[in-house]
Amino acid sequence: MARFLVHRLFAAVLTIFVTTIAVSMLIHLVPGDPVQIMYAQSQGTTPEELDAVRERLGLDRPLVEQYISYLGRTLRGDLGVTIRGEQPVLELLLARLPNTLILAASALFIASIIGLSFGFVAAYKRGTWLDTTLMTTAILGVSMPHFWLGLILLFYFAVQLGWFPVAGSGFPNLVLPAMTLGLTNAAIIARLTRSSMIDIFDQDFVRTAHAKGLPKAVVLYRHALRAGLVPIVTMMGLQFTYMMGGAIVVENVFGWNGVGRMAIQAIFQRDYPLIQGFILMFAIVVVLVSIMMDVVYVLLDPRIRH
Amino acid sequence: MRSGYLSFAIGALALAVGSQAAAQDIVWARDGDIDSLDPHRATSTLSRQVWYQIYDSLLEFAADGSVVPNLAESWEVSDDGTVITFVLHDDIVCHDGTAFNADDVVWTANRAIFGDNPSLTRSSWGDVSSVDRIDDLTVAFTLETPFGAFVPFMADQFTSMLCDSNADAEDFGTGSAIGTGPWSLASWSRGSEIVLEANADYVNRGRPVDNPGAPLADRLVVRTMPEGQTRVAGLRTGELNVIVPPIQEVASLQEDEEVEVFVAEGTGQNMFLQFAVNRPPFDDPRARRAVSHAIDKDMAIQIVFGDLVERQYCPISRGVFGNDPEFCQQHDQDYDPERAMELLAELGYGPDNPMEVVLATWTGDNRERMLQMIQNQLAQVGIEASIEVMDIGTLNARDTQENNREDGPGYMDLMGWTWFDPDLLYLLWHSPGAYEGFHTPELDAVLEETRTAIDPAEREAAVQEAFRILLEDAAQVPIYTPGWLWLYAVSADTPGFTIGPFNRAQFSAMEPS
Repeated sequence: MARFLVHRLFAAVLTIFVTTIAVSMLIHLVPGDPVQIMYAQSQGTTPEELDAVRERLGLDRPLVEQYISYLGRTLRGDLGVTIRGEQPVLELLLARLPNTLILAASALFIASIIGLSFGFVAAYKRGTWLDTTLMTTAILGVSMPHFWLGLILLFYFAVQLGWFPVAGSGFPNLVLPAMTLGLTNAAIIARLTRSSMIDIFDQDFVRTAHAKGLPKAVVLYRHALRAGLVPIVTMMGLQFTYMMGGAIVVENVFGWNGVGRMAIQAIFQRDYPLIQGFILMFAIVVVLVSIMMDVVYVLLDPRIRH
Repeated sequence: MRSGYLSFAIGALALAVGSQAAAQDIVWARDGDIDSLDPHRATSTLSRQVWYQIYDSLLEFAADGSVVPNLAESWEVSDDGTVITFVLHDDIVCHDGTAFNADDVVWTANRAIFGDNPSLTRSSWGDVSSVDRIDDLTVAFTLETPFGAFVPFMADQFTSMLCDSNADAEDFGTGSAIGTGPWSLASWSRGSEIVLEANADYVNRGRPVDNPGAPLADRLVVRTMPEGQTRVAGLRTGELNVIVPPIQEVASLQEDEEVEVFVAEGTGQNMFLQFAVNRPPFDDPRARRAVSHAIDKDMAIQIVFGDLVERQYCPISRGVFGNDPEFCQQHDQDYDPERAMELLAELGYGPDNPMEVVLATWTGDNRERMLQMIQNQLAQVGIEASIEVMDIGTLNARDTQENNREDGPGYMDLMGWTWFDPDLLYLLWHSPGAYEGFHTPELDAVLEETRTAIDPAEREAAVQEAFRILLEDAAQVPIYTPGWLWLYAVSADTPGFTIGPFNRAQFSAMEPS
């Protein structure tokens, strides 16, 4: 297990490193640097003045040099300050990361409950009208864009019924965005649960358990479900990182103050330190989640040994 | 599991009911956030609208657009136009309780003009050589050369007056901001909301709003909500009181009795076409004129915006000094597709050899639809335009880039700028120009005159001469005004909202529901 973890962590660091290089270089392909954009509508600023600002910010140095100094600072835990407003990047990101994590985690919670129960029931009642109904609902769920479902929920629950506020921060504001993100992703979990459970129900050990005369509930929950969960849990890890990405759209619809919205703004303004900080943080979260999933995978299924 | 989910929903419900915004708030939702609370560090309309709530300027624009006293009770321009002296009211109080006097004016101006802080507004102040405190209430600005736009500039948000106690705050501009305006800053959560509190000591000395003192509401909360439909939903539930409506919703909001839609007039905003003039085809004025002749601007405006915008004939907007639609119509290009085709034929273009161009703009405010109309009309005279829509930052950079490229297809874009004075033309078109595009020695000379002429008649003549050159050469093809953030939808149960000239939203007479 220890060797496995070390190996995974090494790969993780490499992944994060490559991601930051790629992003640092790619962002420079878009026309316009942050200084030009910031001063574009500043009337009559001379090119010399712009160059002076670039020099002050270190943007006049070669890309490679800029990247190396960025890397050095990052390794010391300093993500720099934003170009607009000169606020500490780390502080800005950390203030919003919890919002995005809470949103993605709540959505995953909703998606899991609905997805697992739908999938499990559908598998158990395979071939009946219940199975067909549940899986049709699931397909509808997968096909619904976040954006659209978000607006439907908004109009029904916030405008028509007035149960929830339309937008903002705080717990009541979390419900609708979490539902939006959760419902569309529940469908994916439901389909996977169904197919995974169908495989398991057909296997010898389940038949044996039944044959031994164990109560149905014990067979289903203790034997079948645990074995069936292995691929689903891996999938959930992936889903979680997906939801962090999907959260960007949902954050916009519900005015949820997460990191995604700030990242979009940073890209428009070519605020390099903020973009780099965001990508680094996102990469770390994705990698950590995938390592966690690997560990859970091993714990759930003792047969797997890397 | 199941009961956990249920109690989760019920708990959420209880909290939702408990957390309704306090009754005495006015909540204003817009699609984007400010860049900074420091008026020397940003230029966006979104930022300027908020500064206006926190800070006052020495002067103000009255409802008719004229310049009137505000923090300064009077001002005087020396005969040669190089010394401008302001006398302040003696009872002005900053949000932190300190007195506002000449020291604060000097501190603000020095910071904007001479500070190491890279001020974005420095060049807008003109050639200021010194700012001097004459006595406690008198300040003199000395200019190298006369600058016709200086006095009205003292009413612009770029000259928002800061209290010198801001110098003591480490987070001025990001976490703190002390001014003298009707609202004081309580907090700013970047990307989310700005909370402003009513300044109980406020005295309205020049703002065009029907309230002599402190705002009627307790707080003004400025929220960032990027999705237009969400803002509309919030207005309908009463969670929001003032929103920037999505244009496609304006018609239905106008019919809604519980909502009033305000259209800002005299915003100073200009929406125009400009071209990459350093390479074919648009290095030839005939190609630019052909484009202008090919576009039925009135029809395009009517279809895309209806009555929400006005046709613009001059290179600067209605309500701005020098604007004269009749004069401009004598020099611009009428809708005349035949003439457009003749010009194109002269240049060697025809059905077998169509002119191919890129037509760009930035996202939002129905500009994409405007481009589709223009594209369609250009196609009718044989110009094939491909549309590119990008964010404003990229577009600004792209325009400069295109002016510096020697080859590639023709490039033009629908661009927007706003300013309260024809000095905008100097900033756009005096060489090298904002985008390093169109400029001529003749135009340079005329534009210099627009800056130094003090006599209004003389200045107006110079401004009109600049119009003539820009229009006849079709360097700038004016299309419509306003162009962005000029619509406000306000809930009918919070009356009192008004808009001053140059798109200044006024909240202090609004009655909270």
